[in-house]
Amino acid sequence: MQEIKKRYVIPGDKIVEGDYKPLMNVVRNGNYLISTRVGIAEAGKDGVKVIPLSGVYIPRVNDLVIGKVIDRSSLSWDVDINSCFFAHLPAQDVFGRDFSPARDDMGRQLSIGDLIIARIVSFDRTRDPMLTVQDKDLGKIPYGEFIKISPTRVPRLIGKRGSMIQTIEQATQTRVIIGQNGIVVVTGRDVDGLSLAVKAIKMVEEESHTSNLTQRVRALLNVQDPVIEDQSKNTTISYNGNNVSSAPEQVQNTPQPQSPTNAVPSADADAAPATADAAPEQVQNTPQPQSEPQNPSTSNKRSNNEKSENNLSDNLTGIDQKEKKQELVNEDV
Amino acid sequence: MSELTLIDENGKRSDNRGIDDLRQIKITVGVVKNADGSAFIEFGKNKIIVAVYGPREVHPKHMALPDRCVLRCRYHMSPFSTDTRKNPAPSRREVEISKVIRESLEPSLILSDYPRAVIDVFVEVLQADGGSRCAGIAAASVALADAGINMRDLVSACASGRLGDKIVLDINDLEDKEGDADMPVAYLPNTEQITLLQLDGKLSSSQFNECLNKAIDGCKLVYEIQKEALMKKYFGNETEVKEEV
Repeated sequence: MQEIKKRYVIPGDKIVEGDYKPLMNVVRNGNYLISTRVGIAEAGKDGVKVIPLSGVYIPRVNDLVIGKVIDRSSLSWDVDINSCFFAHLPAQDVFGRDFSPARDDMGRQLSIGDLIIARIVSFDRTRDPMLTVQDKDLGKIPYGEFIKISPTRVPRLIGKRGSMIQTIEQATQTRVIIGQNGIVVVTGRDVDGLSLAVKAIKMVEEESHTSNLTQRVRALLNVQDPVIEDQSKNTTISYNGNNVSSAPEQVQNTPQPQSPTNAVPSADADAAPATADAAPEQVQNTPQPQSEPQNPSTSNKRSNNEKSENNLSDNLTGIDQKEKKQELVNEDV
Repeated sequence: MSELTLIDENGKRSDNRGIDDLRQIKITVGVVKNADGSAFIEFGKNKIIVAVYGPREVHPKHMALPDRCVLRCRYHMSPFSTDTRKNPAPSRREVEISKVIRESLEPSLILSDYPRAVIDVFVEVLQADGGSRCAGIAAASVALADAGINMRDLVSACASGRLGDKIVLDINDLEDKEGDADMPVAYLPNTEQITLLQLDGKLSSSQFNECLNKAIDGCKLVYEIQKEALMKKYFGNETEVKEEV
């Protein structure tokens, strides 16, 4: 087998000849593997793939996406996820399995125009994508600066092991929520930091194909190159002028102590359906002290659900960023 | 009579080209910001802008196909694209050219990757000078690649024709009207497949083969320009991938 060097390709270009496995954006034609997109061809252990540099978002199961609620039926919300398919968020996902359209007011939870961060639970060729907000850090996004970038630039914006986005977040004292569908929401208290973060994100989008982008972003943000302080920890960033070691604390949520409610679902597992249990789990992740353990003996699923209603938009405040980034960095460029 | 005016005694054509010469071609990628992909082509005096939208939701919904994407093409000549005003309503010719452009692009696209969606291709002729369907196909293919649609190959297109007893490459408007035959060809250069072959006029068997081979050679030249335009848009002057430090 011949060595495959990373190279730029356009549709129709022969990447390699031989018995390689075609992975992403690659098709076999005779004995050749051919690129189907404009991008960078590379070979890994599994096979040959092309990282595309253009294209719209095509949903994939387990993707984290940011979407806008555009419509509501009696049983679900329709969500625009910046794709050719509209996604559905079932009301049961938010209210629990005993959701009743007659009893529950869907408008209390999500209104048309609301932004949500959600995970795609199912999608195939025959059905539109189905979303869930029943997970840590998912739910309504209450405020923030909305930016749309090309979905193909998302891995570049995240960077290797989240390096690019961490640099931007720490230097501008903001929090950046990235959907795999190319929608980015930036939040922060400092207006200057917010606009600088937006500028940096747009720069990454425009110059994503060029080399040494991280250095140019650091220059834009007035950040020095990383200095390794402790081998056991990740690389830390030192900054010019300001004392920065404490800066991220303002925006990065410290991991919450494990809530005692962890034990609740298993204790209540026989009494309540799985989806109804999932709603209180969501509450655990909120940083608010009032998310107390529920009484597993009572059949108060509805009160649990109501609690989850109140906290739907608060879920985001308790994000453990490292975990989130780990999930997002599926395809490092 | 016609060959006397179309090719002179030195073998030069009305626009001073040789019989195997293409007109000047220039392709710019990404000219329409609102579109998912776009290209502008100058093929001699032809000026054509192509915008691609999609894959996106199909409207009307009943047009959607369950197993693949719908490709829609609209070839349109602007009222100011010809010397006398062109009625902006779709003419019989435009409807036909829209169809042949769609059919020439379809084999290159992997439409089964986008079921229940649609891809719209708008080919707007700003200035016409013969061979606009070929120029439109070449630009549309580049715009589709710019839009990130999965495709097996780019589609290149070029026409050839007969002026008297001479087979010439890339006929212009005058040669189209006064010449003896006109053969537009669209071709997949890497897979070596023909996706469009039309012929207006009469050719003998040997002339047909010569004309087809000449058109394919022209397509290969057009392909190099398409490739260069795409590479320039996405990779600038870089030819090799540089690893980030």
